[in-house]
Amino acid sequence: MSESEAMVYAVGAAHQRGTAVCGQPPGQWWRGSPRRQLTRLGVALLLAFCLAGSARAADDEVVGTLGAVGSDTLAGLMLRWGEALTERYPAVRLQLQASGSASAPTALIAGTTRLGPMSRPMSEAERDAFTARHGYPPLEIEVARDALAVIVHRHNPLESLTLAELDAIFSRTRRCGADEPIDDWSQLGLAEPTGRIVLHGRNVASGTHDVIRLHGLCGGNFRLNVNEHPGSAAVVAAVAAESAAIGFAGLNHLTPSVRVIPRRDGESGERHPPSPATVAGGDYPLARSLYLYVNRRPGEPLPGPERAFLDLVLSQEGQSIVEELGFVPLPAAARARQLGRLSDGPVG
Amino acid sequence: MTEPLPPRPEPRRQWSRRLRDRLATLLITAGGLGVVAAVLAIGVFLALEVAPLFLAAEASLGWGELWREYWQPGTLPGETPAYGMLPLAWGTLKAAFWALLFAIPLALGAAIHSALYMPPRLRSRLKPTLEMMEAMPGVVVGFVAGLVLAPWVERHLAGALALALVLPAGMLLAGMAWTRLPPGLRRRLLPGWAGLWLMPWLALLATLSLWLSPVLEGLLFNGDLRHWLAARFGLDYASRNALIVGLAMGFAVIPGIYALAEDALTGVPASLGEGAQALGATRWQSLWKVVLPAAAPGVFSAVMIGAGRAVGETMIVLMASGNTALMTLSPLEGMRSMAATIAIELPEAVPGGVHYRLLFLAALALFAFTFLVNTLAELVRARLRRRYRRLEAAT
Repeated sequence: MSESEAMVYAVGAAHQRGTAVCGQPPGQWWRGSPRRQLTRLGVALLLAFCLAGSARAADDEVVGTLGAVGSDTLAGLMLRWGEALTERYPAVRLQLQASGSASAPTALIAGTTRLGPMSRPMSEAERDAFTARHGYPPLEIEVARDALAVIVHRHNPLESLTLAELDAIFSRTRRCGADEPIDDWSQLGLAEPTGRIVLHGRNVASGTHDVIRLHGLCGGNFRLNVNEHPGSAAVVAAVAAESAAIGFAGLNHLTPSVRVIPRRDGESGERHPPSPATVAGGDYPLARSLYLYVNRRPGEPLPGPERAFLDLVLSQEGQSIVEELGFVPLPAAARARQLGRLSDGPVG
Repeated sequence: MTEPLPPRPEPRRQWSRRLRDRLATLLITAGGLGVVAAVLAIGVFLALEVAPLFLAAEASLGWGELWREYWQPGTLPGETPAYGMLPLAWGTLKAAFWALLFAIPLALGAAIHSALYMPPRLRSRLKPTLEMMEAMPGVVVGFVAGLVLAPWVERHLAGALALALVLPAGMLLAGMAWTRLPPGLRRRLLPGWAGLWLMPWLALLATLSLWLSPVLEGLLFNGDLRHWLAARFGLDYASRNALIVGLAMGFAVIPGIYALAEDALTGVPASLGEGAQALGATRWQSLWKVVLPAAAPGVFSAVMIGAGRAVGETMIVLMASGNTALMTLSPLEGMRSMAATIAIELPEAVPGGVHYRLLFLAALALFAFTFLVNTLAELVRARLRRRYRRLEAAT
């Protein structure tokens, strides 16, 4: 017979004789070495703990995990708000997935999450898809404003740009009124850096891309040789590494290795750098509102964690966090309006 | 004196053992078939997602639209999107071409040297090093290429191009010089250890070319190679271009090609090469006329598998290529590959929309290409193994 067969017979014979094969008489599993008993006790305690922990909390208690899927521009802000929320209500935690503004409507429609931060307003198609799926429109809450800065390398002496010049640099359609494309730094009157302008921007997924197209390129199209980056921080890193580069990124991602270029008014020659004042006043058009879209059935109150989060976001504390992170906080009137929308319900 | 074994088990026990045996065989076969079925299911799923684009009653896209030159799926309200996939296919092929151009000579050269000339001690040190190259995640390679290598090459373009020209020439020069050395020195510098004693020579050449390149640039190109290229040939230099992608992706593809090619070359029966040398062939003649033709199918399949990997690699191209959807021949400009487009745009395409289904079409194209290439490569390798068995039986 083979070796394995011999082994099987030996074990079977031992079992028949009643001797321990694994150091324990067969048929008495509750006995055993102290170590084995402790292991069993630990497993039992763990099971009991898990079962106790999975008991459901009441719907309006502020406990559990708060999920949000959406913009990566708002990622830092959402995380700071989440930390502040956990400080207020230790039993709740924010879980964020920041893959781009366009991932928020998909998640809201699918029901994966109730909160969708977006750095641009939802399009008609997205709103219609949401309404078709849930039967009511999404609730849109403006939570902050963001200025998009045009950045160059720190050694680049460029002073300012008009909108038409920005359009001529970045677009292939030149709808803002420039006559000729600007390809070379010498066309802007600069001796340093030499050579062609290297363009850096965001990919189609981001809200930043759409805002620059709408307000910076007057609805036109980017050139084909704009290097597309997955995040504002990547744009800043790329511009900081190349002296002939220009790009655009959110104000909150800037580092000292890049310089911000203010907008120069074509007629008056005034300089308008990106700041809360110029954004609110309308002098700096490359700005946008940041939104939080909420899935809330009209007539029903929001669950506890979401309600607490939105109250925190629109409070003084929440808006001071906005300012800390480099965004533009909402003026008081706008804040009051958004709080009103929370209580009344979505108006489309 | 050992104890006598107990009597054989009863027939019922034997039947249950046979049943367990059959069950185990069944589970293992099911596992194998399940893997094959899963791969085919992926293909079927992709095809089903793409089908409504062209087969639905109101076909939302004609074939002609895909052959345009602009890929612009994102739109502001009131615009029609452009879904030309030509730039994506072009970018994929361009990236794979430059990666293979860099990887194939290096990997095949390394495989030939290590299979035929290297002593076993050195070869056993080389293989784990190359496997470490393969273990490096694509994200890390792409990150280093995009954020460290690309700016350095841009600042020292003349130096980098000089390195690319001087190093291969330097190796050939070293080979020529070696044949003219006195026999005493030649016995010290064995060809099998060339990997080691060429290092100082190559390091010296690299240092010299990097040190002298600004001087040469000033003499030949008026101090600015980039400007000269733009003025003379109209070539724009993009910091993240096909050369960087080729370097980075070549780095990732070399270990795969090396392993399979070396496998094929060591499988050639030693008697073939030795017989050729006994009949008076030089080392080069026995390599080129006897060993390589015998191992040719295996080497070919190694290259094909490398090509499949190069076409499908996502993160390296995403981070090192600039993602510009251009269609140019210039190696100094960026590109956008299909895999990178899927990675960037799929998370936010509206499910069921035209954009979404087109990304699935790109995925289906990539799947079909790599499936065909890998299947073909495996068939070729199987034929090679049969051929080796016949050769060994004959000699």
